[in-house]
Amino acid sequence: VAVATTHRGAGASVRRDAAAPWRHVDLSLVLAVLATAGIGLALVYSATHKRAEVGLDPYTFLERQGVFVAVGVLVMVAVMAVDYRVVRDFAAVAYGGTLVVLAAVLSPLGSTSKGTQAWFQLGSFQLQPSEFAKVTIILSVAAYAAAHRGELDARRVVAMVGIVAVPAGLIYLQPDFGTALVFAAVAAGVLVVGGARPRHLAVLALVGALAVGGAMRLGLVTLADYQRDRLTAFLDPSRDTRRSAYNLNQSKIAIGSGGLTGKGYLRGPQTNLSYVPEQHTDFIFTVAGEELGFVGAGGILLLLGWIMWRTWRTAVLAKDLFGTLVCVGVLSMLAFQVFENVGMTMGIMPITGIPLPLLSYGGSSTVATFAAIGLVLNVHMRRFS
Amino acid sequence: MPAGTTPRLRLGVVGIVVVSLFGVLLARLWYLQVLASPQFVAAADTNRVRQVVVPAPRGRILDRHGRVLVDNRYVNVVTVSRALVRERAAVLGRLSALLGVPVADLERRLDDKRFSPYKPVPVAEDVDDGVLVYVNEHQDLFPGVEATRIAVRSYPYGTLAAHLLGYIGQANDDDLKRLAGRGYRPGDTVGKTGVEKVYEDVLRGMPGVEKLQVDARGKVLGSLGSRPPVPGDDVVLTIDADVQRLAEESLALGLEAARAQFDRDTKKRFAAPAGAVVVLDPRDGSVLAMASAPTYDPARFLRPIPTAEFAASFQDPATHYPLNNRALQGLYAPGSTFKMVTAVAALRDGLITARSTVDDRGSFTVPKCRGKCVFRNAGGRAYGRVNVVRALTVSSDVFFYTQGYNFWARQGQLGPTALQDVARELGLGERSGIPLGPESAGRVPDPESRRRDHERYPHLFPEGRWFPGDNVNLAIGQGELLVTPLQLANAYATLANGGTLYAPRVAAAVRDREGRVQRTFAPVVRRRVALPPAIRDAVMAGLLGAVRDPSGTAHGAFAGFPLGQVPVAGKTGTAQVRGKQDTALFVAIAPATAPEYVVAVVLEEAGFGGAAAAPVARRILDGIAGLTPAAGVTYQGGVD
Repeated sequence: VAVATTHRGAGASVRRDAAAPWRHVDLSLVLAVLATAGIGLALVYSATHKRAEVGLDPYTFLERQGVFVAVGVLVMVAVMAVDYRVVRDFAAVAYGGTLVVLAAVLSPLGSTSKGTQAWFQLGSFQLQPSEFAKVTIILSVAAYAAAHRGELDARRVVAMVGIVAVPAGLIYLQPDFGTALVFAAVAAGVLVVGGARPRHLAVLALVGALAVGGAMRLGLVTLADYQRDRLTAFLDPSRDTRRSAYNLNQSKIAIGSGGLTGKGYLRGPQTNLSYVPEQHTDFIFTVAGEELGFVGAGGILLLLGWIMWRTWRTAVLAKDLFGTLVCVGVLSMLAFQVFENVGMTMGIMPITGIPLPLLSYGGSSTVATFAAIGLVLNVHMRRFS
Repeated sequence: MPAGTTPRLRLGVVGIVVVSLFGVLLARLWYLQVLASPQFVAAADTNRVRQVVVPAPRGRILDRHGRVLVDNRYVNVVTVSRALVRERAAVLGRLSALLGVPVADLERRLDDKRFSPYKPVPVAEDVDDGVLVYVNEHQDLFPGVEATRIAVRSYPYGTLAAHLLGYIGQANDDDLKRLAGRGYRPGDTVGKTGVEKVYEDVLRGMPGVEKLQVDARGKVLGSLGSRPPVPGDDVVLTIDADVQRLAEESLALGLEAARAQFDRDTKKRFAAPAGAVVVLDPRDGSVLAMASAPTYDPARFLRPIPTAEFAASFQDPATHYPLNNRALQGLYAPGSTFKMVTAVAALRDGLITARSTVDDRGSFTVPKCRGKCVFRNAGGRAYGRVNVVRALTVSSDVFFYTQGYNFWARQGQLGPTALQDVARELGLGERSGIPLGPESAGRVPDPESRRRDHERYPHLFPEGRWFPGDNVNLAIGQGELLVTPLQLANAYATLANGGTLYAPRVAAAVRDREGRVQRTFAPVVRRRVALPPAIRDAVMAGLLGAVRDPSGTAHGAFAGFPLGQVPVAGKTGTAQVRGKQDTALFVAIAPATAPEYVVAVVLEEAGFGGAAAAPVARRILDGIAGLTPAAGVTYQGGVD
């Protein structure tokens, strides 16, 4: 408690020099994020420029993703501007609002695409609340864990699990199994670093494993056919070259045929002949794999790794536990999404509809990721104040 | 938990987990893009390139005058690849609307088990050009559906020469094994029988290949090069379509005439279910016509025939197996037509001279004999003193029984198989070598084969010894002797040409589409048979008498025929078959002075050769001689 007081005292100095935190911005993280988003734009264009052959505007997706990145940068700066400890005080409100919105998207207000009811149609744009929910849930669970620092007994661990499980459950109902899993990853990271006892973590890990195993069994009834196919296709891709296994085969062919140096930007036959479904969104990594080769795709992984390294470092440097846990939540989210998404394109993870942060086409995902990075930058720039 | 120390430790754990995950991703990426890359490069290529095999139009089959017996017709067909159809119900629904065919019909054809799952299944034939264009321009609506123009066989002369020409069908496992290494794939068209099968290599041509670049929806984006198909070459046969038609018509009419007759032996009408005719050119062994009854329509094989239908049409004994080419495969006792062979053998081996006579009192008794020792003339007639010429003319059994016995009596000097040896020299008991399988070898029995059969199948052949009576029986073409109509014709052709045994040929030449001769098939001489002119003349005189002499066995059948201009030599035969009515046979040589045609006629269960078979040959020779053939075949009275 004494340490916390000191923090608050240090926070008072912020008011004396409003510009001071901006001198401590992690520029390398900002540059890495902008570079990644820029590469994302290039990949989205490569995945969609052949639309011109069927008479469609080849720049549509590029332009829209450009707008998303611009909005994302603005949101990131806005998130950085407000002291994350002020944001923390509104975590409960944000949490309540998130639940309301997630419930609303399941109501007739939400719209459905490809069997999943996850969007609000706003003019020509679609808003996917589950993407933003990731950020508010990170804040909420980090705030709860930080508030009960050192006192995470069984009851509070259950409470934390509940904080994550309720929105995750709503998302699972859409159904969007993949995004629900992201929440589990966030909860795991915050619980580990937030101080849950090893015994409790072991029990949770066991329960989680049983739950996933049971879900696979019960998947026969609770998962839609396409979901089950996608989840199990990676176990035996040669089983069926149609549907999801088809996705996986084509995805691996695209990446594998890229070789060491790739076929050259805009010159990937798999990409240009649209063999890989959902290539500008979930399977964007295959564009890099085919056209830029191991050098380019590995470089993108290292860039993402750099972002995560800076996030981890910020967690270590953070002024307070809340700041640490926010960074850990963001790190868990990014790491899980990258591993799941890239792993799925290479056939070592099941196929779920999770976007690759900053690279996949998609407004909600892009803006939410920028917001999350904004939180990390926020913690970093205020590590002395 | 002790505050302060553990968050750092636990952050370390998180860091290690994240680094490990990245390590896994990079390792996997290295594996896919570097270690396993070649395999994916290959997969990417096959992804984009679809090879379309364009079958070559099959060569035509022409008769000796260039008339097209088997041609090609182009039809538009719609095929569906079962493996490629992703939204089967939707695609079939659209196809149904386009073709105006119920979905159920399409489903039924698509589920046809006879097609390989990897081979497009034809679901509609003879569709409009508009359908062809529509399907090809809307491949996104019809994934896996192909509309193409293909060449199918057409038969301008209908069923003419069906057995000889053969039919085509989709390659099955046996065909693929037989044609291994020549680029055939399951379902490809191959010749199944006859000329279509034997000259497959010539007729097939070279299928073309077109490499198409396709996108993920199967839409063709362009061609990556192609090798156009090379049409198959035409095969020019030795067959004369006119003679072939005459032969088939006359055979059918002859059987019909026989069926109207009452058989005094069995007390019922003749069954006359089947028969065969072979017309050879004795000068070079060319087959001018080859007919087998009953026949079939090769056009039925343009589409696969369901198994049950196939069995009912071709395998039921009541159908008398219309797919069998009896001219090559039918085995018949030659009866008295074999006397020509016995005559040649007896003259050549010095048992008789042309002037030697035998007193034919109607029967022959084997000397010092037990068991069946008395052999009688057919009909119990007696011809008195006959020499070999007269014996052939009237078909005296006693004369030839005597020769058969004398071969036995003089085996110490001539060997035990002197008669059989001559039969074999004339091509009996061995495949003729005609390039048109499968062919039966026939059988010329001798003491050795008798012993072998007995040892191998004691129940079927209870007697292992060869008796004088066997020789007596053999001399008139009975016993275990079996020949094919083609062998019979070829033996007489050898007599006619003075001793050259040819391997009969059906193909004369191969011509390309422009009519340039690519290859010719020369006559194939199998052997020269020693046939001194004196011997040949004596035998020919006997055969001429059989047709010309009022006492000749075929005289009635040739009543009114201009024998003065076209002298005809011939020999009738009436073979007894256990459990069946007599086989009627006749072999004619015309013109006897300078033979150009040998006509062999065999009618199963039709009675006397002179009565049933000779009129068939007569009608064929009418046509060949330029006379108008009679509307029907008249069954003659008479014997042998």
